[in-house]
Amino acid sequence: MRVTDKMVFQNANDRSMRARERLERSVSDVSTGRRIQHPSDDPAGAAFVSTAKIAETRFSAIEQAVGRASDELTVAENSMREMGNVLVRGRELAVQLSSATYSGADRSASAAEIDGLFRNMLGLLNTEMGGRYVFGGFRDDAPPFDSAGTYLGDTGVRQVEIAPGVLENASLRADVAVKGVGGGVDVLQTLQDFAQALRDDDVPGIQTAIQQLEQGLNQLNQASTTAGGSLTILESAAQASRLGRDQTRVQIAGVAEVDLVEASGRLALANTALEASIAATAQSFRLTLLDRL
Amino acid sequence: MADLLAILTNGANGLSAHRAVAQTAAHNLQNVNTEGYSRQRVDLEAMPAEFVRTNAYAGLGVGIGGITQSRDAFIERQMPTALGAQAQHSAESESLRSVVGLDPESGSGLTATLGQFYADLRALSQNPSQPGLRAAVVGAARSLTATFNRTAEGIENARKGVDGRIQASVDEANQLAQKMASLNAQVVKARASGAEPNDLLDERRNTSDRLAELLGGQTIPDGEGNLNVALPGGFVIVSGTRAATLSTAADTTNGGHLVVQVTRVGATTPQTLATANLGGEVRGALDARDGTMLQTLQSLDTLAFEFASALNTQHQAGFALDGSAGQAFFQVGATSTGAAASLAVNPNLVNDPSLIAAAGSATTTPGDASNLFALINTERQPLASGASPSDGLASIIATFGSRTRAADARAQQEKAIMTNLQTLRESASGVSIDEEMIELTRAQRAFDAVSRVITTADEMLQTLMSLK
Repeated sequence: MRVTDKMVFQNANDRSMRARERLERSVSDVSTGRRIQHPSDDPAGAAFVSTAKIAETRFSAIEQAVGRASDELTVAENSMREMGNVLVRGRELAVQLSSATYSGADRSASAAEIDGLFRNMLGLLNTEMGGRYVFGGFRDDAPPFDSAGTYLGDTGVRQVEIAPGVLENASLRADVAVKGVGGGVDVLQTLQDFAQALRDDDVPGIQTAIQQLEQGLNQLNQASTTAGGSLTILESAAQASRLGRDQTRVQIAGVAEVDLVEASGRLALANTALEASIAATAQSFRLTLLDRL
Repeated sequence: MADLLAILTNGANGLSAHRAVAQTAAHNLQNVNTEGYSRQRVDLEAMPAEFVRTNAYAGLGVGIGGITQSRDAFIERQMPTALGAQAQHSAESESLRSVVGLDPESGSGLTATLGQFYADLRALSQNPSQPGLRAAVVGAARSLTATFNRTAEGIENARKGVDGRIQASVDEANQLAQKMASLNAQVVKARASGAEPNDLLDERRNTSDRLAELLGGQTIPDGEGNLNVALPGGFVIVSGTRAATLSTAADTTNGGHLVVQVTRVGATTPQTLATANLGGEVRGALDARDGTMLQTLQSLDTLAFEFASALNTQHQAGFALDGSAGQAFFQVGATSTGAAASLAVNPNLVNDPSLIAAAGSATTTPGDASNLFALINTERQPLASGASPSDGLASIIATFGSRTRAADARAQQEKAIMTNLQTLRESASGVSIDEEMIELTRAQRAFDAVSRVITTADEMLQTLMSLK
């Protein structure tokens, strides 16, 4: 083939441009750490990264939501446990005061302590967290129990998404656990009746209170157990979300991020190629008849 | 005596011929870097011999047969098509690469804002009455709609940028077509004198090459020396010494984007050229604008419309904090046309986030999040076109990416073909400094030798003249 001077220069220019382009790409890869700068760099990879990024955000959001629900449910469970302690104390007093060794005056004096336990229960039932009352069902913007022990909340059970499309209960129904809706004992009414029986020196009434307090305690324990079960589920859901998020991050990194070791190798290779291209170009320019004639 | 004088005359002709060889070599050397220049060479011919006597012809020296160009017609015939194809796919690739906004890793792109919108809905589901969380959902929704708007506008702006490119190409093509017609006239006129107008031919070839880059098509030589130019669809835009006029007009059926028109010589009414009847940069730009870019924009519109419609339907099934029925969450038109560019959050919700319909019933506010969970479920549920919002977005990104990649690959492929042809053409027609230096030296030597012949003939004449 006949080789002209223009071809020599054009080829030198093309080779140099290609080598510089490769070097520039390698520098960009290493400096940004990103493999995909434009969807056309890896269309399938870009689509995967898009879906995976949304999944990563979803896992994080579920983990946070589950965490918040878990905190609220823990508060509810602790309150239930505390209420259980209140009922245990009430039962102890009922057992003591039902004995013939206590006089009517003794019983009447003890009624004040039961009133205190009642108020303690009300305080626990009106527990608030993050601006919402944990035992009010969906009516969480006002105290669910008034001073008379009337339930002002509703029957709603709050839920939390523990996996895409999967919901788990994240609150306790105080109307069931405390007020005995659905066949149980109204714990607050029992305490009030117990206090009244003490004031009236009504020993049979006190003995009835013992049975009802026992039943109420079972109700509260059952609610605590339910809350504990849900907390276990929430904990494992949070863990699964963390794991899912971390795995997704690893997958995204595998597709979207540059392997720095490999990229550094390519950078060194591109650098060497450019140097070789420049050296070869200089060599091809050196030989000309103009220097000999 | 007469023969000796003939030697002097022939010597003068020889000097002239070799001076022409040196002059042509010098011309070649001076044009070594001229774009499109074809090497010229002097065709030396032995002058017809003179009958001297029976069985004896005496040569009469050297003369110039002509000055011709070194050109390979086979390669040159392939050039316009290759130039047009390379320019077409490069223009398409470059236009598509100018589209930004579909980067899945961008922190402010559709991927990030869509994910954040659902994340904020999830956060709100854990405390539906919390004003801060409600405001965050509205903020995330506004960010998402703004990103839809920005992405659609980015694509539309890229399409408008293509219009600018088409307009510039059409303007340049008109100038080139006029120049071709003028060069045809000059070439025909020059050839009438019997000589080959080599430098005019180079200029005409350069002009037709650039025209092929802009519009594609073929060059068709005729018997009169004209080089006619026909577009890929067969429309002749340069016919001899006449050139048609290209123009652009706004296409109302395509959002006011430009369409290419042509007005025949002598006609007054332009006719629209279909994209398929064009080639080169203009065709590549049109393919990008009305192909991948438009389809991506339409897919984005469909996604925005279906997403907003699904969210609106579900939101209207819920109840706001005050127990009122849910309103449309997004403002979106009746059809998908232009949905991505115009999508907005319902201003009532922007002004009052308590209108977010989180509850499933009017009586279960403020703590009920059942409608929020239903809204969250739209993230996984297929929209009307069959894919979930995130899958739909991923599909748009993949389709756009693969089409851009295909255009890149075709551009690279055509560039390789083009480079190969250019190398072959340069090999046939280009100037080699070494070669021309040798030619120059050769001409110099011949010139020296012929000068010596003249000197010798002169001495012989002197000898003859001094005979007594």
